[in-house]
Amino acid sequence: MNLSLVLGQVLNGVVTGMLYALMGVGLSLILGILNLPNFAHGTLYALGAYLLFATATWAGSFWLALLVAPLGVALLGAVIELGGMRRLYAAGHDYQLLLTFGLALILEQVIILIWGPIGMSLLPPRGLGGAVDLGVTFYPRYRLFAMLAAGLLILATWLFLEKTRLGAIIRAGIEDKDMVAVLGVNVSRVFTLTFALGAWLAGVAGALMVPIRGLTPTMGADILGIAFVVVALGGLGNLPGAMLAGIIIGLAQSLVALVWPVASIVVIFAVMAVVLLLRPQGLFGTR
Amino acid sequence: MGFRVLLPLLAACLLFPLLLRNTIATEIWIFAILALAFNLLLGYTGLLSFGQATFSGIACYVAGLLLKHYGLSLPVVMVAGVLAGALSAGVVGAFCIQRVGLYFIMLTFAFNQMAYFIAYQWTDLTGGEDGLPGVPRPPGLEGGLAFYAFTAGCFLITVAFMKRITDSPFGLVLQAIRENEGRAAAVGYDVKRYKWLAFTIAGAVSGLGGVLYAMLFGIVPLAAVHWLRSGDIVFMTLIGGSGSLYGPIIGAAVYTVLAESVSRYWDRWPILLGLAFVVVVLFFRGGCVEAWERIATAGWRRRRSP
Amino acid sequence: MAQAPLALMATLLEAEGLTKTFGALRAVAGVDLAVEAGSLHSVIGPNGAGKTTLFNLITGELPPTAGRITLDGHDITGRAPHAMPGLGIARSFQRNNLFPNLTVAQNVWTAAFARARHGLRLWRSAVGFADVAAAVAEALGEVGLASHGGRKAREMSHGDQRLLEVAIALASRPRLLLLDEPTSGLSPEETRRMMGLIRTLRGRYTILLIEHKMDLVMTVSDRITVMHFGSVLAEGPPTAIQGNADVRRAYLGTATALPTGP
Repeated sequence: MNLSLVLGQVLNGVVTGMLYALMGVGLSLILGILNLPNFAHGTLYALGAYLLFATATWAGSFWLALLVAPLGVALLGAVIELGGMRRLYAAGHDYQLLLTFGLALILEQVIILIWGPIGMSLLPPRGLGGAVDLGVTFYPRYRLFAMLAAGLLILATWLFLEKTRLGAIIRAGIEDKDMVAVLGVNVSRVFTLTFALGAWLAGVAGALMVPIRGLTPTMGADILGIAFVVVALGGLGNLPGAMLAGIIIGLAQSLVALVWPVASIVVIFAVMAVVLLLRPQGLFGTR
Repeated sequence: MGFRVLLPLLAACLLFPLLLRNTIATEIWIFAILALAFNLLLGYTGLLSFGQATFSGIACYVAGLLLKHYGLSLPVVMVAGVLAGALSAGVVGAFCIQRVGLYFIMLTFAFNQMAYFIAYQWTDLTGGEDGLPGVPRPPGLEGGLAFYAFTAGCFLITVAFMKRITDSPFGLVLQAIRENEGRAAAVGYDVKRYKWLAFTIAGAVSGLGGVLYAMLFGIVPLAAVHWLRSGDIVFMTLIGGSGSLYGPIIGAAVYTVLAESVSRYWDRWPILLGLAFVVVVLFFRGGCVEAWERIATAGWRRRRSP
Repeated sequence: MAQAPLALMATLLEAEGLTKTFGALRAVAGVDLAVEAGSLHSVIGPNGAGKTTLFNLITGELPPTAGRITLDGHDITGRAPHAMPGLGIARSFQRNNLFPNLTVAQNVWTAAFARARHGLRLWRSAVGFADVAAAVAEALGEVGLASHGGRKAREMSHGDQRLLEVAIALASRPRLLLLDEPTSGLSPEETRRMMGLIRTLRGRYTILLIEHKMDLVMTVSDRITVMHFGSVLAEGPPTAIQGNADVRRAYLGTATALPTGP
């Protein structure tokens, strides 16, 4: 086991961990505000990836695609919330959950209809290709970018929630929806905005992941469970918690891959099981 | 079991082979068993478990392996499958019951994912993506009709069993928990213990379904443990109606017939499944049973008025 | 009514220094309480005084930050809510806490079945337990809902639902009955009916009653504890409370006489 290999895996773990964290943050917001485990979250991530691929190949620019794709996903998120979720507020969160499940089924099939069932790949953009010399090892430049980008986005989301008025309303809504409504805030608009924001975060995570893992139609279904684990470990609406949980899971996955490759995905859920056994509220949750 | 219910079910059991292919008719009863198990959790206890395929899937693999590699007899395989379902549900349930509401749902889903990935990676045991082919039927059940009769019999026993459980004090306490967990505790029930028991019983019955499934197609596919299978079971129960013991049976029949007929013509048929899901959730939440009741009471009211 | 010296009366429930803080908020601050067996002890105070929190501490819905609760000399501090009926404690809730889609009879059945200690029963039909059915009929008869057994709880009027609240608690055949503002939301007529019910229960059960309408408790209580901002402001028989200037000030803001009851 040489140092270069280990360091490479550690970095891999942090990179995927940050992207897992992005997924967790988006899901956590939707869960906290709308009381809804968004079963379509994985498919929105996949859609972000496929939209990036489509825009990048059509327009020839990765950067334009990185801007456009998540916005497209956010728009879809807003439409879903306005057209579907809204009708089901009275029916309860079980039914909203099932709606997202139905939508996930539809969207995944639509992806296959448009882009086919075979996986695809995309090279990183010029300027982010190749590897960086870290002394001990060489590491793909794009992955470092993805890690930084994800980190900055989480920071930006945190700043938005902590420092802006709209962010404060969202945070208050996570604490106590009824109180927020009483204070005269248009709660339905906050719901739509939060869902769109969560969708945007999923879309951007998917888009960033493309040059790292490529695209397959089932990528959404595969990552949904991991996103749930991040939220369960990190605690509801807890952004630093989600980030730490994401990194822990990413590291667990990549380090286990060094010694026991086939168990690397399963270990994520094993970690979840152990943590929940010892600390039912998650590592950082308070409820 | 009341005659009003027993007769239609018996009639259905006798008629189906005449109307449908044996495999489809058998599949209906298998899914009905799975849906009945799930509805003990959703309809009666108020627990939306999004991972029942974990337990039916594990039982499916256990039965498949025992039949294929060890050629064990039918009773042994049945018991092993039901036990596998119960044990796996007992273990998973012990974790999931610790949380309530949305966290519970997410946890059942996450454990389903875990089981799926284990099955996917452990190719030596499960065959991975290719599944476990070559599962023989025990002697006497090789014929399509014979196996159908056996499965229908298992189904009827399951219905009788579930009716006893839901009519019992245990069943009423589960409903109290669904209605108001806090008060159920305040009047003296250890809510977690009851939830865990319901989860384990549902796992055992799901295990029965899993064993039958392995024997039906002679193969244990990876799909048997996929979360989409869990979703199918949820969907069946919804379209039939979770508010009664028999709604899930209707839902299983409707779903199986539709899925089998549509999937032959279009590879992308899950879109229709998703659409049907969305439509049911938005407009027909009570499922077939409630729709039927609404029609029936409307007709009765019309007859009453002069 | 002549008061026997305290030392000769059996204390059923005792709370010592009971405290519950939520961050900086002290909802219950060092409350001492002694409820004598067979008596009706009222806890009164304005809204927010910490009365319901006190109940939640006794029945285990909330763990206390400090203090001790003893029942018949046994420490029951922090025991889980579902252990309460087994210990002989049952409570009704300030806001209706029923099983909405179950029938009135089934609502009461839950408590009666738990009390009958038949344990886990998965096989025999629920209606086959005659002793439980009798207990249900008795509890429903006690509160006057005997003819409503088949109706769904959510279809009942608010007044009848408040009676059902009490019936469920009675079905646990408790030694100690905790009633949390049973008259909440009731019309004057319904309030009279509820107080009449409580009067018939008096003496047969040890009752700890929360109310914030002082006039209701004056004629029915053996002792009254007045709470204010989480602490005990005064404690004693109704006559003593009536004459207490601190209590007058807390309730009315002046030292004028307090209501003496209907």
